[in-house]
Amino acid sequence: MKHRIRAALALAGCAAVLAACSTEDPNAGQGGTAQGGSAGDVRTGTGVTADTITVGMLTDLSGPFAAGAAVQVAETRAYYEKVNADGGICDRDVQVDVQDHGYDPQKAVALYRSMASNVVALQQVLGGPTSAAVLPLAQADGLYLGGHGWAGVALQYENAQIPGTTYGIESANAIDYLVDELGVAPGGKVGVVYFVGDYGNDSLAGAQYAAQQRGLEVVPQEITPRDTDLTAQASALQQAGVSAVILGAAPAQLASLAGVMSAQGLNVPIIGNTPTFGPSLLQTPAGPALEQNFYTVTSIAPFSLDKPGVQAARELYATAAPDGETGWEVPLAYAQAELLTNALRGACDAGDLTPEGVVTAMRGTADLDTEGLFATPMDFTDPAKPPTRTVYVSRASAQADGGLEVLGTVEGPSAQSFPVG
Amino acid sequence: MSYFLTQLANGLSYGLILGLIAVGFVIVFTSTGVLNFAHGSVLLTGAYLVAVLHDPIGFWAAVVVGIAGAALLGVLINAVLVRNLAEANPGTAAILMLGVDILLLTELTRRIGNRVLPIGAPWGADVVTLGGVTLPTSRAVAAGLAVLVFGLLWFLFARTGFGVAMRAAAADGDTASLMGIRLSRTGAAGWALAGALAAIAGIFLASFPAPGVAPALAISAFAAIPAWVLGGFDSVVGAIVGGLIIGVVTALAVGYETQLHFLGRGLGEVVPYAVMILVLLVRPSGLFGREEAVRA
Repeated sequence: MKHRIRAALALAGCAAVLAACSTEDPNAGQGGTAQGGSAGDVRTGTGVTADTITVGMLTDLSGPFAAGAAVQVAETRAYYEKVNADGGICDRDVQVDVQDHGYDPQKAVALYRSMASNVVALQQVLGGPTSAAVLPLAQADGLYLGGHGWAGVALQYENAQIPGTTYGIESANAIDYLVDELGVAPGGKVGVVYFVGDYGNDSLAGAQYAAQQRGLEVVPQEITPRDTDLTAQASALQQAGVSAVILGAAPAQLASLAGVMSAQGLNVPIIGNTPTFGPSLLQTPAGPALEQNFYTVTSIAPFSLDKPGVQAARELYATAAPDGETGWEVPLAYAQAELLTNALRGACDAGDLTPEGVVTAMRGTADLDTEGLFATPMDFTDPAKPPTRTVYVSRASAQADGGLEVLGTVEGPSAQSFPVG
Repeated sequence: MSYFLTQLANGLSYGLILGLIAVGFVIVFTSTGVLNFAHGSVLLTGAYLVAVLHDPIGFWAAVVVGIAGAALLGVLINAVLVRNLAEANPGTAAILMLGVDILLLTELTRRIGNRVLPIGAPWGADVVTLGGVTLPTSRAVAAGLAVLVFGLLWFLFARTGFGVAMRAAAADGDTASLMGIRLSRTGAAGWALAGALAAIAGIFLASFPAPGVAPALAISAFAAIPAWVLGGFDSVVGAIVGGLIIGVVTALAVGYETQLHFLGRGLGEVVPYAVMILVLLVRPSGLFGREEAVRA
């Protein structure tokens, strides 16, 4: 009996702890209602009523990318609050329906099914496998989909608006930058450490193409997100005699690789794709090695860039989340909201605020200036071509906000000729 | 040659850490008959406690709390869930442990987010160099400590009454029970030991050359499963030897991948399981397993 009571007490304690920790979607039950027909002289479809426009966000609030995703949600909400305060879009307020897929493709598909009939566009489907699952469905439904990362496969979809260029072009630019600016001589070897999958393989393909163009040799090392100790890989790269490394992985792998390479005396440049870096890395033991050797090539402007678009993103974030983490997610969320807002306004002007009208308006955008959020004006008219091939190059710096100091922009010859799609 | 020795030292030190984890699997299995798939999240819990506490209370105090916390968590899982199972069926318990793992991991992931929490160890990113062989200081410390821990385990199991009682309970629970050994105590001790070993391993797995505590740490515990299985499932010595084999083979496979290119890329992922299968083909009950190790 005593034993039972003890067990029951312990169980109740566990349950209480779990309940206290459960997350609740603050936006639950706020989804817009679908009302077809036309209001005024603008045709409307799902997700648009006489006074509201509802856009969806399928994001990861409980899985591996929860922290960065929360930053993006905060910034996106703040962006539309400002839009609404300034009069809204097409005389309507924009509502954001946020749902958590927890980085689970099955759940993402289920949430997409329930959301698709209530939104005019998907502001974001975060994550490689999750967006890969949702993209074909959204394509079939003719629904705009943004904020899905930079995998080259997205260029197969008419309805997908890639926020910048692809990982392959990022890596091709990285090779060009190594040769033209960091003095890697022809005949040299470049290590490519990459996650197997859409992201890493795209990065590898770009690096291999560019290396061939520039007379370099690629030493590939395949890893998985489970590998957080890259000692053996670093030793192998040192043995191969690489003069630089390109990394298509996540922050944990970057910190390990940079730390080990530096400890082994292999102080060569490491250039990472956009998702590789997080400012919290500079507080780890690998911090000094990162400041010495790490560069990153990104479509989206780093947090610290001194351009009006990025400054607006920073200011908005400072009021929306004063204690929030700073990183490239802030300008990215702002830029993605700008892209969709631009498409929504275009659809409104064309008198067709239906999901198809939004896609058409997005595809009609030939020369979109984002005031520095992206490195060049963006051209979305051809779905099979990336809207830009220029990237920002930055390097790690503990002094810079968001941990990255911008060095400039690059659009190298191999990045220009890299065949995508 | 020094390249080979560096990879070997790296593999041996990693193997000893894997051994710490694999021994935890063995002890839980022999003391309570449970395949503990929640071991990874217990490991992560220990490392997480050290990562969040090293700033306010200092690294060594945080280590003590982390180890004690992981041990306590193991004891709690055993007391609340395992002992209350209607029938002691390894399959049911294993699935229960998968559930516990998902719950713990979800909560820890929510707390950690996509940050990487530094473990705050005094050895930081230092390396030691000996005769051309470079090894991270954390790995050298881990190797020394693991050997010490294995020595203590030997002393416990061979020289103390309680350790002998644990071995008796593992060898034949019913008979041991009739001889006056309280299985509830040996079981709790097994879970506590396993939790403590996991926390120690977690601290070193989160130290340089790894960046710190991140949710993926829990999955890295599963790298010890081939070591556990090829060692023989119920043998502490087997788990240690298995850990060393897996550690060395993995390091060499990755280190010489260029030369082994005909086997394809990403060899380091596959090779532990290939070795495990090879060993089991030759010795179906593992290197040091008892022939009758099947618990049905």
